[in-house]
Amino acid sequence: MFSYELVQDGQSVTIYFKGDLDIEVTEIMEEIIQELQFFETIHINLSEVLFVDSTGIGLLINLVNTLKQENKHVMISGTQPEVEEVFKIIQLKEILGEEIFVK
Amino acid sequence: MYLNEYKHVHGLTSSNDHVMEKWLEREINLARNIQTKLLNGSIPSIRDAEIQGISIPARLIGGDYYDFYPLENDKVRIVIGDVMGKGIPAAMLMILTRGAFRSAAESTKGPAETLTAMNKALCQDLRLLKSFVTLFCADWNPITNVLTYASAGHNMPLLVKGKEKKVMELPKALGIMVGAFTDHVYEEKRVELEENDTVFFYTDGIVEAENKDREQFKRERLINTLLQHLDKNVDEIGKHVVEAIHTFTEGVPQKDDITMVILKVNKKSDMTKTNFSFISSKE
Repeated sequence: MFSYELVQDGQSVTIYFKGDLDIEVTEIMEEIIQELQFFETIHINLSEVLFVDSTGIGLLINLVNTLKQENKHVMISGTQPEVEEVFKIIQLKEILGEEIFVK
Repeated sequence: MYLNEYKHVHGLTSSNDHVMEKWLEREINLARNIQTKLLNGSIPSIRDAEIQGISIPARLIGGDYYDFYPLENDKVRIVIGDVMGKGIPAAMLMILTRGAFRSAAESTKGPAETLTAMNKALCQDLRLLKSFVTLFCADWNPITNVLTYASAGHNMPLLVKGKEKKVMELPKALGIMVGAFTDHVYEEKRVELEENDTVFFYTDGIVEAENKDREQFKRERLINTLLQHLDKNVDEIGKHVVEAIHTFTEGVPQKDDITMVILKVNKKSDMTKTNFSFISSKE
């Protein structure tokens, strides 16, 4: 079961993803995009995501691209080794830009 | 009066719902038939090798894809891919991908060129639909025993060395999934295969299959299964892999489509004899 938590700090926000990032997140992601509209800097924390499939990656790409199009500063951190492996296969850093992946 | 009207309207609604459900069920089954027929197309008989493809969708319809395209001089082009998403939307994109592969395979010289052409053809549509496809494409040449390949964000296949009894991943060919960048150019790599070598192409649904404790099947279990059955033919290898996944998952519903293509190199046929018998039969 996927859930998320927002921790606000002025114009910045950290969003903690919790659970599997797969097709079940499709509708929740729409909600997340709406919630993140109000912030300038968005930090996506994936430390509690242990599973991601191709659909989940697609949802993450769409989220980052939508936010970038609105000139928001996006960062991704806390990627777990299992998820990092999937990101490597799909070459996610080349797609989203290496600069958004932070420790 | 009101109650009667309500009953009448309610009766109509539920009967409409029932009709709608029937239509949907029928159309889903028809869509499934179309996909199954297109996906399970004929397996080409190839010289000095055997090939098999298996795809088990997680839902009624899947988004995984594999295909074969015979080329000149007994070569064959193989493709395997994973369309983002599941069910009917993924199946629709899978059909689009199949069309792109079939036309690209006809007009391109190698797997990297095929992926570049497919990406060019599909990128605009996939970006519009906020979707993507990972693909792995390879050409098998039975004369030179060389497998040439390219990847679009897809996992590298496993190479089972029959003589040495070991399994390794094919050297990585760089390439981003189809649908990300319009003008992406794909890297091409090649590997020479020997008699009894097997190449196992697959989608992530295999290694990510989960049991009730949420453990994944993982590549290690797949490698062990392939090692255990390296002397078998492609049909048996496929069956054993499916069986190993089922045994591991213990009936936990499948989350993702499971797809594999198995290519096994056989002993070289005697070409002199083949040519002779061909000439004889013509005479």
